[in-house]
Amino acid sequence: MIAEKYADRISKTFAKYPDKRSAVMPLLYMVQQEYGWVTPEGLVEVAELTDLDPTQVKSIAGFYTMYSEKPKGKYWLQVCTDLACALRGADEFHKQLKTHLQVEEGGTTDDGLFTVEHVMCLAACDKAPMLQCNFHFHENLDMEKMKVLLEQWRNEVNAAVGKPVES
Amino acid sequence: MPNIIYREKDVPNIHQFDVYTQNGGYDGLKKALGMTPVEVINEVKASNLRGRGGAGFPTGTKWSFIPQSEPVKYVVVNADESETGTFKDRQILENNPHQLIEGALICAYAIQAKAVYIYLRGEFWDLAHTLDQHIEDAVKGNLCGDNINGSGFSCMVYTHLGAGAYICGEESALLESLEGKLGQPRVRPPFPAQKGGGLYGEPTVVNNVETLTNVPWIVVNGATAYKAINGNEQSPGTKIFCLSGHVNKPGNYELPMGVTFRELIYEHGGGITNGKKIKAILPSGGSGPILNATDEVLDCKLTYEDVVKVGSILGSASVIVMDEDTDITWVAAKITKFFKHESCGKCTQCREGTYWLDKVLDRIMKGEGKPTDIDLIMNIAKNMQGVTLCALGDFAANPIIWTIKNFPDDFKAHIVTKAPEVAAKPAAKPAPAPRGKAAAPAQGGD
Amino acid sequence: MANTVKIYIDDQAYEVPAGTNLVDAAKWIGNDIPVFCYHPKMKPVGMCRMCLVEQGSIEKDRATGAVLLDDKGNAKIRWMPKLQTACTSVVSDGMVILTNTPQVEQARQNVVEFLLTSHPLDCPICDKGGECPLQNLTMAHGPQGSRMVFEEKLQLDKHVPLGDLIYLDEERCIQCARCIRFQDEIVGDDVLAFHERGRSLQIITVSDPGFDTYFSGNTTDICPVGALTTADFRFGARPWELTGVPTICPHCPVGCDMTASTRLDRDFEGRAMIKRIMPRQNEEVNEIWICDKGRFGHHFTRSADRLLQPLVGGKTVNNWVEALNAAANAISAANGDVAAIASPSMSNEDLYTLSQLIGAKGNNRLGAWTLPYTGMDLVAQVGVGKGTNLGKLGKGDAVLIIASDLEEEAPIWRLRLKGAHDRGAQVIVANARHTRMADFASESVIFPTGTAAQWMNDLVNHEVGQQLAGATNLVIVAGAEGLTVDGHRALMQAAANFLIRTGHVGKPNNGLMATFPGANAMGLHYMGFSAEETLNIMQNPPKVLIIAGADVYADDPNAAAWLSKVGTVITLSMFPDEASTRGAVALPIQSFAERDGTFTNGERRVQRFYTAQGPMGAALPAWQVISRLGEKLGVMKTKTSAAVVMLEITQNVSAFAGARYAELAKVERQFPQVGGDDLYYGGTAYKNSGGLGVQISAAADEGAEVDYGTVNLPTAVTGDLIVIPTTSLYNRERTFRPSEAEIMAPRVPAPYAEINAADAQKLGIQDGDRVVIDVEGSALEVQAHVNGSAPEGVILLPRHLATGFAAPFTPTAGQVRELVR
Ligand SMILES: Cc1cc2nc3c(=O)[nH]c(=O)nc-3n(C[C@H](O)[C@H](O)[C@H](O)COP(=O)(O)O)c2cc1C
Ligand code: SF4
Ligand code: FES
Repeated sequence: MIAEKYADRISKTFAKYPDKRSAVMPLLYMVQQEYGWVTPEGLVEVAELTDLDPTQVKSIAGFYTMYSEKPKGKYWLQVCTDLACALRGADEFHKQLKTHLQVEEGGTTDDGLFTVEHVMCLAACDKAPMLQCNFHFHENLDMEKMKVLLEQWRNEVNAAVGKPVES
Repeated sequence: MPNIIYREKDVPNIHQFDVYTQNGGYDGLKKALGMTPVEVINEVKASNLRGRGGAGFPTGTKWSFIPQSEPVKYVVVNADESETGTFKDRQILENNPHQLIEGALICAYAIQAKAVYIYLRGEFWDLAHTLDQHIEDAVKGNLCGDNINGSGFSCMVYTHLGAGAYICGEESALLESLEGKLGQPRVRPPFPAQKGGGLYGEPTVVNNVETLTNVPWIVVNGATAYKAINGNEQSPGTKIFCLSGHVNKPGNYELPMGVTFRELIYEHGGGITNGKKIKAILPSGGSGPILNATDEVLDCKLTYEDVVKVGSILGSASVIVMDEDTDITWVAAKITKFFKHESCGKCTQCREGTYWLDKVLDRIMKGEGKPTDIDLIMNIAKNMQGVTLCALGDFAANPIIWTIKNFPDDFKAHIVTKAPEVAAKPAAKPAPAPRGKAAAPAQGGD
Repeated sequence: MANTVKIYIDDQAYEVPAGTNLVDAAKWIGNDIPVFCYHPKMKPVGMCRMCLVEQGSIEKDRATGAVLLDDKGNAKIRWMPKLQTACTSVVSDGMVILTNTPQVEQARQNVVEFLLTSHPLDCPICDKGGECPLQNLTMAHGPQGSRMVFEEKLQLDKHVPLGDLIYLDEERCIQCARCIRFQDEIVGDDVLAFHERGRSLQIITVSDPGFDTYFSGNTTDICPVGALTTADFRFGARPWELTGVPTICPHCPVGCDMTASTRLDRDFEGRAMIKRIMPRQNEEVNEIWICDKGRFGHHFTRSADRLLQPLVGGKTVNNWVEALNAAANAISAANGDVAAIASPSMSNEDLYTLSQLIGAKGNNRLGAWTLPYTGMDLVAQVGVGKGTNLGKLGKGDAVLIIASDLEEEAPIWRLRLKGAHDRGAQVIVANARHTRMADFASESVIFPTGTAAQWMNDLVNHEVGQQLAGATNLVIVAGAEGLTVDGHRALMQAAANFLIRTGHVGKPNNGLMATFPGANAMGLHYMGFSAEETLNIMQNPPKVLIIAGADVYADDPNAAAWLSKVGTVITLSMFPDEASTRGAVALPIQSFAERDGTFTNGERRVQRFYTAQGPMGAALPAWQVISRLGEKLGVMKTKTSAAVVMLEITQNVSAFAGARYAELAKVERQFPQVGGDDLYYGGTAYKNSGGLGVQISAAADEGAEVDYGTVNLPTAVTGDLIVIPTTSLYNRERTFRPSEAEIMAPRVPAPYAEINAADAQKLGIQDGDRVVIDVEGSALEVQAHVNGSAPEGVILLPRHLATGFAAPFTPTAGQVRELVR
């Protein structure tokens, strides 16, 4: 239950806005952080906290691509393959990464560690190829650097989706 | 030429509150607090500062639309920065955040706002959390929050994270999103500045990050000094140009308005990668018309007015450069994927049109296009123009219309030669990926 | 018109009311601007972009206001650079619109083409085919052929159940959001939403319960394509095979206007059969909405359990003459000691004929089977004024809803009064517990159980009372929850007094309403029946009692006791209910579907329903049965038609003077225009060709002096636990028959009682336990619901959930026992 575990953050979040509904997006992030994805139970928790119908919360979760409504790997790798990055080799990088990890687009490695998908422009076009991993940017990549990162991630097992917010 | 925005170039660590204040930081706010709100608005008006979010709307005029009689007003900072090829606001948020906070608070004072919300795209997750700390520092320094600098004016600044939706950069969709709803644009009027149209229905100023970051400088140095930075009366000041694509030194360049494409690309950007020739320029990311990089275009000055004259828009000044080997059909397909992914789905033409365009372009890229397909996509795109609730419908139509108009041969090559599918060659960085007009490089998955 | 503006549409000038939506205004003057997402009952969203028009305004000199002229002397027009959506525009003086230019026509064609790129074009198998706005607008504005490669279309799920009643075909959906907005704006239960975005937008619900409101069926009417269909009608028939017959909902005092879509059906031995029910526009009654009970509750009319032949002594006689003779003999032998009890399911014509019969053969003992409701006479006095339209209540107006669970008792009133609240009316809900309507109220007042009359009587002395008194218009809606018969009488009188005292009577949008049971409680009053007489009959049994349409055993646990003292019972019934099988003679009568007639609704509107369905067995309209009996008794001639009976009524019942059938059938143009030949709003059925009915005057409307009555405050019912009967919209009454409308069966709750948590704890009862409630010597087995709205010391027992026993109809002291778990 995020209500207890994140009580402090939740009350700070509510304090920001004159309307409870505005807290629905921040709360969905907390759910995702807690459960790894936006679970049906998580939706209901957010709905109860914000006095919304769960359908409305689900609707929000579905509209915005940074909420995952399905379980993801521990490391959610989102490679920008949008035009500016693609002009600098991002498509190829994305393909190599998938081949290296042996996953399809949107797929998760068998060990459950990595989900790879491509995304639209991440405002880092001058540092392509790049990706975000659990919402942290990694820029000026190539497969060599990537392998080092992957190794590093494999070694640290405890990361969750989304860094805890120091609020 | 002063660095108005990227002051970190002159003052290292200016992102720190102490460094910022020791170097004239928050002087603009302090000065503004000693003026009347109307005086502040008039100063900004006189500077001819124009919105940097893409539309170039005069900032002071926008502020003056706010009905002073309404008790509750808001300032919303648009830090959604999601346009393909745009990455300028991010650098401000990273390196000079206090100047943005200061600018936003000056705006808040000018319209007597109750609060400032900075809406950051969700991917600026880390940035948002450091920004929260910067705000806290400003509060501790009594330059934000209650009774700012003893002036009696109180206003808090809050951050709010989006969650992956380009459309939330559109101001009314942004407001919906901030209210906890789907990021779908609103029917206007009422406009954000009007009662009923803004955040929580209250009059609201929505400004881009870069726009507001200009404001402290203007208040401190005066409108006249600002206008002197550039000869063009309507487009004064510096502008940040996000340079990307096939250039040797991609990055953000803060330059006076009126610099030419040639200067930007060759002097500042170090020219085209691998000594190739330049073929095309997208001056405003994915959303503006593509330009054939002729000499006339290269010599065009980057101002709101001049870029229109050569057939495109300055927009957010996200200059994407493409070399001679770039397949413009592939570019069109790429951009179409973007808009298909980002259409909010409200308007029929945008929702269905982006889907349809994508389907036809896919088949063209696969070498299965029919001769009539070029006319078809041209027509689909035209039918999407000028009929939708927000400009995204037009943005999605532009790449098709202008890529076909300016580079018809690139399209014909796909149809006429019926090329078999060719896998894209591995591209070592920074070699550009897609090559060859007839080739059909693998799309970035879908 | 008071406040009008001048607009120009396609070079024609029109005066239209200021503030009107442009699409509505244009439609009113005969210009159909095509729309998909816009709906006149909901806020515009400007999404589909079908309504694009060229828009401009006449230029005026800022200083003088004079119209500026061009060189040719024509008014200068400032045109907007782009096409504008008409649906998001409100008419303004000097507005100029062009709807027939090539640019506009092209834009419309483009929208249709875009919509069709995702559309499966499965019209031949679509329920909406033939009455589909998309189909019609494609004919009118669409492109010649399709440029979309069929294989490239999205393939989606075609059978998504959104709830038990409504299915979604994702391929057909055009993302207009009408259903979402209906649930949000009109119902106030936002269980539908969009999921994802762009071309992936889809309607979803994950609510628990899902899409399960009493109003869900309306979404299938407003859906402009065949994306939403009802589980009841899906693949039931093709719209063009159907004949629309105007009818009136028989279930509650709202009296919604409906259309029965019928066809000669193989499943019904070739007789006309109702295939579906849809709303029929009557802006002053139900606008264009009906509840799901009205929509799906027609199945009872074809129940296998109908009484098809007369019974004598409980045995089928297959012979009307024999049955009528038996009845006539019994009545003759009674020497005038004959009384009748009639239910509000009987039509005005039935009741009138019955009152004539009793008047001639008895002593005018006419009981209304509405208990615990009384006070129809007060509604006749100070009921809402003629011309009342709940849809017009708004800012400055007030509504008090007292002792009622309005959503259960009169769902469409609840819907319309939520609208009043949204428009700014002060809505106060006062009851002994929280009810759904309180969610849409400005204020919810909770008083101790059973004290509604006291609270009402005292209201003038309170601040709320002051506010209500000062409202521009005030409507009071009274229920009977928690009240004894005396308590309800006192409440009605106190409410009437309040209205009289504060000047809120005798004018439109002011006065008294009550959530009487059934469709025709007011008709009972006007034909001389009263609830007080029913009590009298119970206490002083007659030799012969005629029970018309009342299922007395199902309604009253004491029925057996008082009926045992009646000499002979004659029933007129649709079903072989207990009174019919135990009585001396049972005469089968027709339901509202098989005959014509009229009901008088809670706002005193007399409305006609027409013969929609083929006959069932030997059943006849009740007025006919009664008049044949009267002929046998030599007191009247067999009446020839319902219309003729109504003619007699208009001559003999003064309030009905203006209610001749021809008058009732009159239709005026209604605003907003939704039905008729234009199908943009979704369906032919809205069209009202059956008449708007006639609202008869309350006495106060006629300027009659209406006096306060004395309020005899009731004595409290005492006991440790008081069993309070409540109303559940979905129940197991014979005139709903959920088992026949199979889809409704799971929606009717199993018999239950709500027990307050504190009481439950004292009794050691947990939520979900099976318990026995001992009340007045009966033991009623139900499931305990502990977390409901029951106040302490109260057991809420919904009536009519069980077929095996009747819950008491007034508060009664009781006990609860836990069953073995
Ligand atoms: C589809 C769309 C996307 C937009 N995205 C952004 C954006 O990411 N950042 C931004 O500042 N403005 C964006 N805008 C422009 C805003 O709607 C708005 O004009 C701007 O924030 C106003 O600020 P300014 O006056 O300071 O430029 C976008 C507009 C549209 C139609
Ligand atoms: S144009 Fe596209 S993105 Fe903009 S409101 Fe319409 S559907 Fe949404
Ligand atoms: S946009 Fe006007 S009817 Fe849909």
